[in-house]
Amino acid sequence: MTEPLFDIAVAMASFFAGLLGALIGLGGGIIITPLLVLCFGIDIRYAMGAALCSVIATSSGAAAAYLRDGISNMRIGMFLCIATTIGAVCGALLAVVMNPSVLAVIFGVALLVTVLLSLKKKSGALVEPEGSDPLAKSLRLPDEMPVAGMQVPYGVANVIPGFIVMWVAGVLSGLLGIGSGAFKVLAMDQIMRLPFKVTTATSNFMIGVTAAASVGIYLKKGYLDPSLVAPVALGVLAGAFAGARLLTVAPVKLLRIIFLVAVSIIAVQMIARGLGVSIG
Amino acid sequence: MNRFSILLARVMVTGTLVAAAIIAVGLLWYLSAHSSELPGDHIFRGEPKYLENPVQMARRAFEPGVVGERRSLVMIGIFLLLLNPPIRVFLAGAGYWMERDRLYAVISAIVFAVLLVSFFL
Repeated sequence: MTEPLFDIAVAMASFFAGLLGALIGLGGGIIITPLLVLCFGIDIRYAMGAALCSVIATSSGAAAAYLRDGISNMRIGMFLCIATTIGAVCGALLAVVMNPSVLAVIFGVALLVTVLLSLKKKSGALVEPEGSDPLAKSLRLPDEMPVAGMQVPYGVANVIPGFIVMWVAGVLSGLLGIGSGAFKVLAMDQIMRLPFKVTTATSNFMIGVTAAASVGIYLKKGYLDPSLVAPVALGVLAGAFAGARLLTVAPVKLLRIIFLVAVSIIAVQMIARGLGVSIG
Repeated sequence: MNRFSILLARVMVTGTLVAAAIIAVGLLWYLSAHSSELPGDHIFRGEPKYLENPVQMARRAFEPGVVGERRSLVMIGIFLLLLNPPIRVFLAGAGYWMERDRLYAVISAIVFAVLLVSFFL
């Protein structure tokens, strides 16, 4: 296969990954890397570099919509970005000294955990503004969100535990070249008990900033091959936009089940690849 | 923060689209010189140092005869893409500063500093 054909194939796979990511609520990054490694035989380090760039692209592209809606909580996002960016730097420094086979195994495990997290029911239990963590109050984290034309206030719980889990999410982002949105949502939704809409919008803002903290290290280590980043980033970006449009008409529930099964199989194959076993 | 949010949103979308356009043009420019080659990302070999330097990239992208370096143009687009989040953080910090929200101006500055440091590690 010549390079133009190869790039078209990569761009199409990336489009699919971005579309899927938008439809089932996983980031494109965590789907595209296994695709590049398993289907295209690309070295995992180049795949991670390209995926990380595509994560930044989609986060920046989608942030606009979220910001305009006024549901993302910028104060929470910025405060937690201290944890995720420092985590991402640690993760990236770890990634560049780690054996690629070990990375593949960790990647597969993280992918499985992501699937489990996205199957988990959203916790409905919110906290009242008055019942917020005192630290949240002094940081002015509680805010309000628009619900059916009214401004409804919400509280914020467990700031320190949330901050720590965010650091871990940052480490995973830098280590694996993913946005680690599922882990960020875990911290904000389950631990800090924020409303789900606020969580997803804020997480999207944070993903790009987090990814930007490790991309410099990837660049210096030669993980960014422009001729691979280009088709991947363009494909994922286009797929994410298409996915956001399709979200209202697609049979999302059915797609979710089908694709979560598919992603689990990919995860197992990634682990097998890392362990040097070949299956399927 | 509202008017600022809208400005931020515009900056992000415009930045992303401009970067994507440059990447797309750069890819075509690169492929037009490499149309019959085999793709080479199966084996990791790192990337040359000049791909970290935008000025050198701009020069090399259009250097006559050195078609092998046309992917530099793609890299300039990627750089623009990567600048998006730091700009976002910087603008947010500036917004807080203008609102006299010292606490969040400082928090934004910390995040910006981490991003800056990461580019020099």
